[in-house]
Amino acid sequence: MSSRQNPEPMTIEEGCKLIDAAVTKLTRIIEGKPEPPFASHEYIGNYTIVYNMCIQKPPYDLSGQLYEKYGAIFQDYDKDTILPSIMEKHDEYMLRELSRWSDINKIMVRWLSHFFYYLDRYYIARSGNSSLTVVGMTCFRDHVYEKVHFNVKQVVIALIHKEREGQQIDRALLKNVLDLFVQNGMGNMERYEKDFEDFFLTETNSYYSRKASRWIQEDSCPEYMIKAEESLKKEKERVSHYLHSDTEPKLLKNVQTNLLVLVAKQLLEKENSGCSALLRDDKTDDLSRMYRLYHEIPEGLEPVAVAFRLHVTAEGNSLIKQAEDAATSGIVEEQVLVRKIIDLHDKYMAYVTDCFQNHTLFHKALKEAFEIFCNKKVAGSSSAEMLATFCDNLFKKAANDKSNDDSTIESTIDNVVKLLDYISDKDLFAEFYRKKLARRLLFGRFSDDHERSILTKLKGQFGGQFTSKMEGMVTDMQLGKDQQTGFEEYFKNTNTGKPKGVDFTVTVLTTGFWPSYKTSDLNLPLEMVNCIESFKAHYEIKTKHRRLMWIYSLGNCNLTGRFDAKPIELIVSTYQAAVLCAFNNTERLTYQELIDQLNLGHEDLVRVLHSLSCAKYKFLKKEPASKTISKTDSFEFNSKFTDKMRRIKVPLPPVDDRKKVVEDVDKDRRYAIDASLVRIMKSRKVLPHQQLVSECVEQLSRMFKPDIKMIKKRIEDLISRDYLERDTENPSTFKYVA
Amino acid sequence: MHKLSRSNRDKVQQFVAITGASEKNALQTLKASDWQLEAAFDVFYSQPQPRSNADVRRLEELYNRYKDQYSDMILADGVSILCSDLQVEPQDIVTLVLSWHMNAATACEFSREEFIGGLQALGVDSIKKLQEKLSFMRSELKDEQKFHEIYNFAFGWAKEKGQKSLALDTAIGMWQLLFAEREWPLLNHWCDFLQDRHNKAISKDTWEQLLEFARTVDPSLSNYDAEGAWPYLIDEFVEYLYDMSVVEK
Repeated sequence: MSSRQNPEPMTIEEGCKLIDAAVTKLTRIIEGKPEPPFASHEYIGNYTIVYNMCIQKPPYDLSGQLYEKYGAIFQDYDKDTILPSIMEKHDEYMLRELSRWSDINKIMVRWLSHFFYYLDRYYIARSGNSSLTVVGMTCFRDHVYEKVHFNVKQVVIALIHKEREGQQIDRALLKNVLDLFVQNGMGNMERYEKDFEDFFLTETNSYYSRKASRWIQEDSCPEYMIKAEESLKKEKERVSHYLHSDTEPKLLKNVQTNLLVLVAKQLLEKENSGCSALLRDDKTDDLSRMYRLYHEIPEGLEPVAVAFRLHVTAEGNSLIKQAEDAATSGIVEEQVLVRKIIDLHDKYMAYVTDCFQNHTLFHKALKEAFEIFCNKKVAGSSSAEMLATFCDNLFKKAANDKSNDDSTIESTIDNVVKLLDYISDKDLFAEFYRKKLARRLLFGRFSDDHERSILTKLKGQFGGQFTSKMEGMVTDMQLGKDQQTGFEEYFKNTNTGKPKGVDFTVTVLTTGFWPSYKTSDLNLPLEMVNCIESFKAHYEIKTKHRRLMWIYSLGNCNLTGRFDAKPIELIVSTYQAAVLCAFNNTERLTYQELIDQLNLGHEDLVRVLHSLSCAKYKFLKKEPASKTISKTDSFEFNSKFTDKMRRIKVPLPPVDDRKKVVEDVDKDRRYAIDASLVRIMKSRKVLPHQQLVSECVEQLSRMFKPDIKMIKKRIEDLISRDYLERDTENPSTFKYVA
Repeated sequence: MHKLSRSNRDKVQQFVAITGASEKNALQTLKASDWQLEAAFDVFYSQPQPRSNADVRRLEELYNRYKDQYSDMILADGVSILCSDLQVEPQDIVTLVLSWHMNAATACEFSREEFIGGLQALGVDSIKKLQEKLSFMRSELKDEQKFHEIYNFAFGWAKEKGQKSLALDTAIGMWQLLFAEREWPLLNHWCDFLQDRHNKAISKDTWEQLLEFARTVDPSLSNYDAEGAWPYLIDEFVEYLYDMSVVEK
């Protein structure tokens, strides 16, 4: 690099002339006009001009003025050349001009910065002014960008609209142009946002709003959703092609709001194609799409979950209604109903796990829906009772029909446990179940495995207290078998008092576990009395401190009826057997004589006599031969009776215990409420009424939903029993009385 | 008395034994003196009250006039003589107030201690003086606090000995008596309701809370809180009022 040692310092005017010439040459080159490129000496020469002018001794150090000159070059170029060129074009052409001139400007900035490089090194560093590059770019912004951005934006948006309507546009061009917006922000996104993005979003908003109104009218829900999904996809692509990534969330939110949020209600509730219809018709793809679309939106899933819940509730309610209508003479077909509810549960749970990705909102909606209709009564039967009856029938059938596949039983048991979760009166279920379990264990065949299986599952779900009694019952049956073997051993060994020709089995039940049964002072036939006595003797040897209470109403007997035609084996209950055996000694007995002899209650005797003389099999002849038993009837052994069967089972119709079960449960609930109230007050000492009630409800909710009135009554009872008292200052607060 | 601790109970008995004051008076005085016996004695003797032995003898004479032949109590006959001496009807509410002053355990019976103690508390020792006090006693019913005490006292007093609850008829009679002193517009409806729907004895809690109800809830039930801690019977009463269209819901 040679520095010319001029005797005369160069003036600014001289320097500028030289510079101008260089600039002209430069602009011709970069504008693409025919012009030979800069030779290296020219390049160096230009640099040197500047250099020299800078190092001249004051007052000829022209750095400041050169800096001004640099700025002026750009200003003039922008104003005189660039801007007019752009302004005279329209639409896409304008965009291209802008793009082209922006590139040109960049090149010019680069070249001139090189020429004026010396300023950068020393003058600018010392004076703290903006760098050459910044100056060049700022000039462009102030004199070109500011003037044209409005129109440019209009064109860009128009093009985007065109693309949305399906036409091809020059994406690369748009990308360049929008990059310009970004660049002209000089480090922040303000220009991009204010000059372009805001308008773009407004335009997008009205575009999709229009689309939404049209589509929602014309299209079915699935079609609409497909279009919505498409639109979102396209907009995302748009961002990747030419919009700045910052726009993406705002854009998507905009589209979602218009297409999905604002029309949610209309969309989901569309007749024949909305959420309800899709659920009904198994349209899993559409439902999955619905989930995907609404999942993105904050709180967007809520209306979907609501629609889901309403639909499931409606389905459940209609099942209940169907059962109600079909219930003839007050008898509900609970097998059918419970199966249908189980199926309903499976179907909709499948939706929750598959289409709705196991989202808690939908689990909750399903639960709430089931809780509503699962607690409804059908023809007087509560759901608790129905479920218990269902289990009863299931196990009875399973025990009798061994061909049933164990795994189906197991899965049904699982379903039962799930359904029980929705029923609020769980304690009522437990009581019904217990009663029926007792009958199953004592009368029919039962499968130990199945019984234990359901109890284990119930225990797992609801706690040991729920199942303890029932487990005790099943264990008793197990122990009973061992006991019976012991009993037989006893006879073999002692050989005393063995009842002749009578096979005798005793099942010992632990009182606390089994439902309470009333005892009766039935006078048994002598043969039976002997059996009882011998067992008593045996039992007393084993355990000294226990008392046996005999429940004849639960026993059954096999008798041989020696009818004229042929002997027939009769399988009857102990009561029936006692009545029949009374005729062993006499041919004929009146009602009164039977009462006296047997010491049965009237109700029981009527039932028994009815089953033996007025029902399907008439073992006894009744006089008069009417359909009902009256106290003046007399009975005779019907020796003429015969049947093609050799063995007949005569069922004694069970008494309807529903009322008693409900009463028992109510009583237990009163105790439970009392205990809960005392427990709460003992730990809290002082508590206002409202809180006491709500805590009590919460504590008991695992087993049942306590009636507020009942809780109030119990509180008053506790007050009168001096467990609680009202606070004298504030009578709606209670205090624990130690 | 049973709410007191053992030492305090002893103090009361001591006080009564020494001063001859009634239990009630003893309680009040001791409480006021913060359970310091000495201080209580000071208070007691500094009060200008005619508590000389002479008075006690006169009271004993009075007592003997009414007391029953066979037992050491004033029974029904004695009470009616007392009432005619005082020139009041036996059903007059002032007898209730008198009983309250005596802290009588049961209606139509006064023990020796109750009778003498009560008259001492009132500061009278003759029928004439007692008669003079009648108007004062009537006025006590107008006092909010005293009415509250008398009302609550009435429950224990009116019920049968050994029963926990008050028989319905007696309760209704008492209510009509008591609420004659202070108007409660829903009284008749309440009595109708009980006879119509309840027909059982009244518990202490219900009795006490009824006054609260009559006091605080206005007859149009506008400020009745259904979620509140009212006894079950009162909630039922409100339902009854709605059912009978006595009040708009």
